[in-house]
Amino acid sequence: MPEENDDNSAKKLDRRSFLSGSAGLGISAALMGLSSASSNTARAAEGQKSILMDNSLCIECQACRVACQNENEIDEEYSFIKFLSWEEGQYPDVEYRVRRDSCFHCPDSPCINQCPVDALYKGEGQFTTLEVEECIACGQCEQVCPFDIPEIGEERMYKCDACQHLVAQGEEPACVSTCISYALDYGDFDEMLEKGQQRVEELKEDYPGAELYSSYDFGLLLILTSPADEMELI
Amino acid sequence: MMKFGRRKFLKKSGLTLGALGLSLKGFNFMDWAAEAQEAEVEKHPTLCNTCGSQCGAWAYVKNDRVWKVEGHEENGRSLGRLCARAHGGLGWVYDADRIEQPLKRVGEEEFEPISWEQALDEIAEQLTDILNEWGPRRISFGHYPRSTGTFYIERFMHALGASTICTHTTSCSAARDTGFNYSLGGVPHADLSRSDYVLMIGRNHGGGIRTSQMKKMSEALAGDTRIVCIDPRQNDIAKLADDWVPIIPGTDLAMVLAISHVIVEEDLYQEEFVEEYSTGFEEYAESLSEYTPEWAEEITDIPADKIVEMARGLGENAPQSLVHPSWGGAFGALYANSDETARAVGCLNGLLGNINQEGGLIFYPTPEIGSLAEDEHPRPEEPDTRRLDGVGVMDEYPLAGDYGLPHYLMEKAKEDELKAMFIRHHNPVRNFPDYEHMAEGFRSLDLSVVFEINMTETALQADYVLPECSFMEREEVIEARGGPNPYLAMRTQVIPKVYEDTRSFDEIMTDLAHRVGIGEYFGFTLDELNEARLEPYDISLEEFKEKGSMMVDLEKPEEPEFYTRSGELEFYSEDYEHVGYPPVVQWQPPAVGVEPEDDKFKLITGKEAYHSHTATANLPRLAQITKDYDTNRLWINTEAAEELGITDGDLVEVSSGLASREVRVKVTERIQPDTVFMPSGYGNKTPFYETSEEIDAMNTNDMVPYQIGEISGHAMRQETLVSIDKV
Repeated sequence: MPEENDDNSAKKLDRRSFLSGSAGLGISAALMGLSSASSNTARAAEGQKSILMDNSLCIECQACRVACQNENEIDEEYSFIKFLSWEEGQYPDVEYRVRRDSCFHCPDSPCINQCPVDALYKGEGQFTTLEVEECIACGQCEQVCPFDIPEIGEERMYKCDACQHLVAQGEEPACVSTCISYALDYGDFDEMLEKGQQRVEELKEDYPGAELYSSYDFGLLLILTSPADEMELI
Repeated sequence: MMKFGRRKFLKKSGLTLGALGLSLKGFNFMDWAAEAQEAEVEKHPTLCNTCGSQCGAWAYVKNDRVWKVEGHEENGRSLGRLCARAHGGLGWVYDADRIEQPLKRVGEEEFEPISWEQALDEIAEQLTDILNEWGPRRISFGHYPRSTGTFYIERFMHALGASTICTHTTSCSAARDTGFNYSLGGVPHADLSRSDYVLMIGRNHGGGIRTSQMKKMSEALAGDTRIVCIDPRQNDIAKLADDWVPIIPGTDLAMVLAISHVIVEEDLYQEEFVEEYSTGFEEYAESLSEYTPEWAEEITDIPADKIVEMARGLGENAPQSLVHPSWGGAFGALYANSDETARAVGCLNGLLGNINQEGGLIFYPTPEIGSLAEDEHPRPEEPDTRRLDGVGVMDEYPLAGDYGLPHYLMEKAKEDELKAMFIRHHNPVRNFPDYEHMAEGFRSLDLSVVFEINMTETALQADYVLPECSFMEREEVIEARGGPNPYLAMRTQVIPKVYEDTRSFDEIMTDLAHRVGIGEYFGFTLDELNEARLEPYDISLEEFKEKGSMMVDLEKPEEPEFYTRSGELEFYSEDYEHVGYPPVVQWQPPAVGVEPEDDKFKLITGKEAYHSHTATANLPRLAQITKDYDTNRLWINTEAAEELGITDGDLVEVSSGLASREVRVKVTERIQPDTVFMPSGYGNKTPFYETSEEIDAMNTNDMVPYQIGEISGHAMRQETLVSIDKV
């Protein structure tokens, strides 16, 4: 089970202040005052696409991770897709929880706002994308990311960009097309939001705490079997 | 489809001969990647080679280098998707330590490169001498069965009058196969997603992945199917399923018998079905009477009322209920009672009347495949030579299948009875229990030849190693596969050979056949063979090579059919009776007993989703997953660990009667307290696997002594007890 990076927490933007806007980073009004109440109104930007991940079906086979590494031609040390997992309870009544951990493509990405060389931008499908040649691997995006996603290499930062080159051609990201659990879906934000909400309703029977993270127009929507705040999500 | 020769490629990419010529060390990834951005992309159909599923894939190529794979939509195994091992498996093509030319042993783990001419001449000569002096009974060919291997090996061996061909099956599913063969007449597919109640015994779709099966499991998990997982460990499906029921390893047979007992006693079995399609029900029902849930609770540690609950779940939902046929799982080749566990599972499914029913177990047909014209290319007759590994022999393994017993053959080798063995695409030295037994046996052969692309543990012990080109570099024999999505598939050549002096198996075998005087049976090209195989279909070979995989429409069976001797579902087996085994399935304990002694543990193993067999720990992308998630550790129950003063991450020494190994632990609630679990795939013993060495950890085969299962001849992979001591 992956462990928290305690040494980074002092430098990191406090998660609460990110949400309340008090860190003064110009967070859009849509993110103020976190509420997990789902909403059916489409507030998404024009052409917003999302990846919808059903964590209740994820077996952590890592097919997505490796397909992504091949597709995006990155060395094995960097994986755009990671997983966090927890065991709860005592033998033999053990519950297992898992969720994908990769870029959420925030609608008003703190990393885009923070990048000193403007290397980050909203690309195809409104996914937060890095112009690799511009990146100076300074690490500021990592410091400001509320989810701790960017990995800083020697010459560039590494994170998911929803396979921009595929999305631009109207194709699915590599993770979605390979998933052997059929846990991943991809499409217009509104469609993914609705599907996610429906699935969460179904899941509540077996998992009363099930939740869709989030109702904001993230580029990555997670169907969770436990409340978000129990899965290291703000 | 333009193909670049190596020179053109090197000129174009600006790489020096040194980077690609002799070794791939020093290859500059960033340079290549930059160049690759601008390159044109080619797409060729092939089959993944990282596990036995052989999922259809599209391989994408840039600058003659494989870039990525995607699942082939018209392939019944992949159904358009691929697991991590497929994506990671590309690493083998470019491994820096691939074998580049034939090798001849000159010392312990020391080889000298020789020419093909010399290699094949010497092998042919020695093989001929052995055949002349000792006869065809004393040679053997082992392989992991795939279409090309099966075709050429059978033809070669049969032409020589030899019958001892063996596969990996005794380390995989021999017990399951045999138990099912003698109850249901074969191994059916589970119609999972349309079933209402499913019992999984040890089978872990999320670890031992077959992509098409995982799709069904996922549909079942998302839908209304109730899935109950029996496993000492909360495996990758159990963690998502409705119910995880822990059990003491090796006692599944008791649970199955007790469930059957309840179903019969409470009249929950499908009476009409049993009456019409089975034989021996009376005797079977009679023998079940002592196997009460309370009796089973004592043995399995599963509460009696849970056993009753599962019995009712299965019975009340029949025939849309099933006990999964499994694969390796809990009774593939693990304990002395694995054979009977499999037979009991077959019989239990019989009680549910689910054979060839929707939501049950279905025997799908296999697509037709053509043959070479008999008059032009006569097929050698199947020899009646008695097998050397006791298969089909009355006092040895009369009921074992022709998957053969490689571990027993190692004993025969040590006794100087087995003189020569050829091994292709198979690594029994590492992948069977008792490494010393396997290695010593193989070394003691007069002639040993291994066909491989890299220096496996088995290749290291061989007299000759003949390098095949990798799966991306060769065309193969068309295969036909049944199941819910029947299909034909082949590998086509995706990239030019990375090493010029490697050859495809069909080429090597044809050459060798001529040298040992059976060339008359090998007078066809691979294309001619494939044309013949495609004959029943309205597609040319050329067209088929463009597709690579093709679904075939076959009618699903309507009535239940049993390919047993009697033609019926056999609760009572005359075959068993004839050879002296109990005709009706009975309880028997594992060889190591039920409850381990106070300070001992039962050691179990199983697959991780991103590793398979012995060849993935050396793949950089897959080894990295192990590193990132620290998964090459021994699972131990929290309470059990506390009693031993062990905490998460500690180094412990694991000892069985056979060996001691150090390994780090993962302390978890997800495992039964008498059990420890070590994922398979680690512990390679070849100096040529540098990446694997970085994640070196215990291989359970080192802890299990050489044993042979009585009925199916399986390798008894978990018949051992271990003690754990903090280091």
